[in-house]
Amino acid sequence: MGIILDKFPLIAKAIPGGQVVLTSTDYIIDLGRKYSLWPLTFGLACCAIEMMVAYAGRFDFDRFGVIPRPSPRQADLLLIAGTVTKKMAAPIVDIYHQMPEPRFVMAMGSCANCGGPFYDSYSVVKGIDRIIPVDVYIPGCPPRPEALIYGVMELQKKIMRMKLERGGGATVQAEKGSRDPAGEDA
Amino acid sequence: MNPLAGADAVARLLAAVPKAEIASSPVKDYPTIRLAAPADLLLAARLLKGDLGFMYLEMVTAVDWLGPVNLGGFVCGGNSNPLSRKPAAPPVSPVPGPGVSYRPMLDLLWSFGNLGENRKIFLRLELPRDRAEVPSLTSLFAAADWQEREAFDLFGIRFTGHPNLIKILTPDFLQGHPLRKDYVHAKDRYDEE
Ligand code: SF4
Repeated sequence: MGIILDKFPLIAKAIPGGQVVLTSTDYIIDLGRKYSLWPLTFGLACCAIEMMVAYAGRFDFDRFGVIPRPSPRQADLLLIAGTVTKKMAAPIVDIYHQMPEPRFVMAMGSCANCGGPFYDSYSVVKGIDRIIPVDVYIPGCPPRPEALIYGVMELQKKIMRMKLERGGGATVQAEKGSRDPAGEDA
Repeated sequence: MNPLAGADAVARLLAAVPKAEIASSPVKDYPTIRLAAPADLLLAARLLKGDLGFMYLEMVTAVDWLGPVNLGGFVCGGNSNPLSRKPAAPPVSPVPGPGVSYRPMLDLLWSFGNLGENRKIFLRLELPRDRAEVPSLTSLFAAADWQEREAFDLFGIRFTGHPNLIKILTPDFLQGHPLRKDYVHAKDRYDEE
């Protein structure tokens, strides 16, 4: 499937009227990706409690198609909820590389964004964008489930801008830092 | 019901362990006993586990009483490694503060639980910071294994007789023992700008 999607823009452009087919295909694929964001839930600290609430009855993440997966091989979204210690940093990079493309990363909470209350600590990584690329940052300590839902909706908007022509990722893959050059073609 | 629990347990301990005394600074209002020397620890623990029914080692931890530290311009070598027999780091001096008796001592603390009778007893032991060595309790309590590795990792206390005394919490590249008051953090690969 991946090879077909990679080659498809070339084929579609070569035939007359192919652009129409290409954009409609983009739309359908993006719609599918947008409403089946399966996160690998990576609860590391107190933020994980808030993440669990978001999955539970009152906030009901399932209605967005967000269904938690236990394995990185089945996940589209790495939802880092909590404090990333230096000892945990290497496993996170491993897990990120185990996820199939296209993969997205959300940093939930001040700790995952920038170190948060542990900014001066000897053992905390000051933001996961130092080790992997991040799509959406959710501020707060901890962010309420509403904020998490808002973050997922922002990610869905971002996914709707994905195009086959540009390859798999939402935007160009970076080694680390934010993967959100908002202007790319918003 | 073991009639020896509670106050009797304290009396038995005080009688059996030489120079042990009731600690002047108890943990909350639990019976707390201060040992005089590291050699007494195994004796006390064996008595607690065997005769008095304290089968559960809840916690092994410590307090570094060095207090706020004046490193005297000395930065990189504060992280002494008790396992290496290199020349000792230059001395650091505690900064005197009001009300607290800062001293270059590590105050070790063990907590034993008697689950059958819902009782707890605490043992304390003061050791000099640069010679923090106590016998390991792993021969009596399997739970002591990870607890002692944690105390070693964070305080640099050497537990003699421990089967596998290696770091447990901090990453391999971290130098020193972070809960020591004279710990100096050396920048590592995750700290770069
Ligand atoms: S951001 Fe706040 S709530 Fe979230 S993991 Fe950090 S300390 Fe806990």
